[in-house]
Amino acid sequence: MKFGVFFELQVPRPFSPERERQVIENALEQARLADELGFQTVWAVEHHFLEEYSHCSAPELFLTAVALQTRRIRVGHGAVVCVPEINHPIRVAERAAFLDILSGGRLEFGTARSSTWTEVGDFGADPDDTKKDWDEYVRVLPRMWTEERLAYRGRCFSMPERGVLPKPLQQPHPPLWVTVTSPGTELDAADSGLGCLGVATAGLAEQERRTKEYHRRIQLCEPVGKVVNDRVSTLNFLYCHEDPRVAAERGLLFLGSFGMLNAHLLFTREAYPTSAYQSLANLAPSAARKGASPGEGPKVPEGMCLGDPQRIIQDIKRWESIGVDEINFLLNSVEVLPQEQVLASLRLFAREVMPAFGCS
Amino acid sequence: MLVGTADPRILADGAPKLPSFDTDALRLVGVETLQVLFEMESAGTEALLPPGLHPTLPPVVTWLVQRVDESPWGPFGLAQCRVECRSGLRPRGFLRLGFVDEPRAGAALAERWGFRLCPGRIVLDRGYDRVRACVEREGKRILELQSMDPQPLRPGDAYIVANVHLAHTPKGLRLVQVDPDWEVERAERGRPLVDRFDAEAWNSAGVRPSHPVAALFTLSSMTLPALRYVSRPDALAFQATERVDR
Repeated sequence: MKFGVFFELQVPRPFSPERERQVIENALEQARLADELGFQTVWAVEHHFLEEYSHCSAPELFLTAVALQTRRIRVGHGAVVCVPEINHPIRVAERAAFLDILSGGRLEFGTARSSTWTEVGDFGADPDDTKKDWDEYVRVLPRMWTEERLAYRGRCFSMPERGVLPKPLQQPHPPLWVTVTSPGTELDAADSGLGCLGVATAGLAEQERRTKEYHRRIQLCEPVGKVVNDRVSTLNFLYCHEDPRVAAERGLLFLGSFGMLNAHLLFTREAYPTSAYQSLANLAPSAARKGASPGEGPKVPEGMCLGDPQRIIQDIKRWESIGVDEINFLLNSVEVLPQEQVLASLRLFAREVMPAFGCS
Repeated sequence: MLVGTADPRILADGAPKLPSFDTDALRLVGVETLQVLFEMESAGTEALLPPGLHPTLPPVVTWLVQRVDESPWGPFGLAQCRVECRSGLRPRGFLRLGFVDEPRAGAALAERWGFRLCPGRIVLDRGYDRVRACVEREGKRILELQSMDPQPLRPGDAYIVANVHLAHTPKGLRLVQVDPDWEVERAERGRPLVDRFDAEAWNSAGVRPSHPVAALFTLSSMTLPALRYVSRPDALAFQATERVDR
């Protein structure tokens, strides 16, 4: 089992340049500490216009800062929105290769297509086409990184013969992932030989079913890249404290805040009827809601790493038992937890939990 | 986190009265529905919602225009103007005002589910090149919508957000959750046009449609549910939701 940290860069209202800077600085400090403590990867999302929920609109810049301030931890571009109205594929290939070089070959490259109307609609992309766009990107990006020159004629873009520069440091290219929110995308991941970057906080039973099917299918895959990435990661929430009551209280504050902000986004499925978006694909609500009817107080949902070290070890062992290779943790939401509490939680996790999984 | 800022006491003026929560589910058959979604200007959005609800990002207004073939009151037309929102984590459309062309249907919808309705004339006209809807109040046209170039969808691709209504109930002024069950037989998506919208007439001053999203036409049955939950309009749903006892 490996552990990562996952940043949305959530900024509380009222917005100000100083507040934006503080959120970014706090995240960088958390990333530096995660590097020292032996975490595997720092992931940063790409989102646009999602007020409060995510101000991480230029993750490649954030991750460049992470790469230059750390020594060992890998940098996860998770995930690049593979829709031409948002990111041209050539620019995606160039930026990713550059980041791989600057980080000394530490890039993990995630792909996605965006699930909110706020992003897809406002960039003028056609929701019916985003899955097709994604498919085309994941097939052509590895070629841009590995072929000296490439001419390409496709559906969402074409280019005359050019050398896309620079080439990444990792050979043949950085590991490829796809974010999985909608049920079924894990099958696309398996069929394409891509790592399964779970970003929906699915329950254990659902995750087990999906993981089994992913591992079965990826044995038969036609990889889109030069190498298969068969890892399964999942998203979780981390707040670790010696006192389980304090851990639950603070953890639920953070989980609840994240869930509320996520629920306020306008998902494509809700706004624009299409076969291309079969679920709302929101992240936290199902987990935050689990076990509670309207009017009841929230509980720490099954499998959420909000507790004392022993509880978290038990939770992670269950994730491990169903075939999850990596857990990426959200650490805070709109700064509801003071930075010193977040850092203390990370340190305690590293001291008491990680050794139980052979990490230190 | 954005929350509504409208004073519930002011919103309460004109809100319908539910004499009891003793409402059985009701299945309406042969329901044609045109739903049109537009993003709207964000300034003033919070003032359209009570503090118990959150606006979406971006803010969205939806119009639902329906013709019902079979009901206990015979055929009728219903038109609604809703501001999309969240009650806690759940997507909802907050009904600002609706119009109905059959008085008995209007009275029942108001008394049993808390629909805030006025009498009006409602036209829903489905063609192969477009679906048109219009609503008139006292002879004045207050809404004209079109769904252009409708394309067939799978019935399962249709998605209509559930309603939340402000009403005087036996528990006091409450937000009433009304989550219809749709059995969609046919669905079409079109390009939405709003040719006329008199926001004042819809009790929606401040709603300024700005950016088209989508239009959806469905043929379905629609089951209005037994009431299960209400919440106070002045507090967030997590703290203020109550189960309804019949």
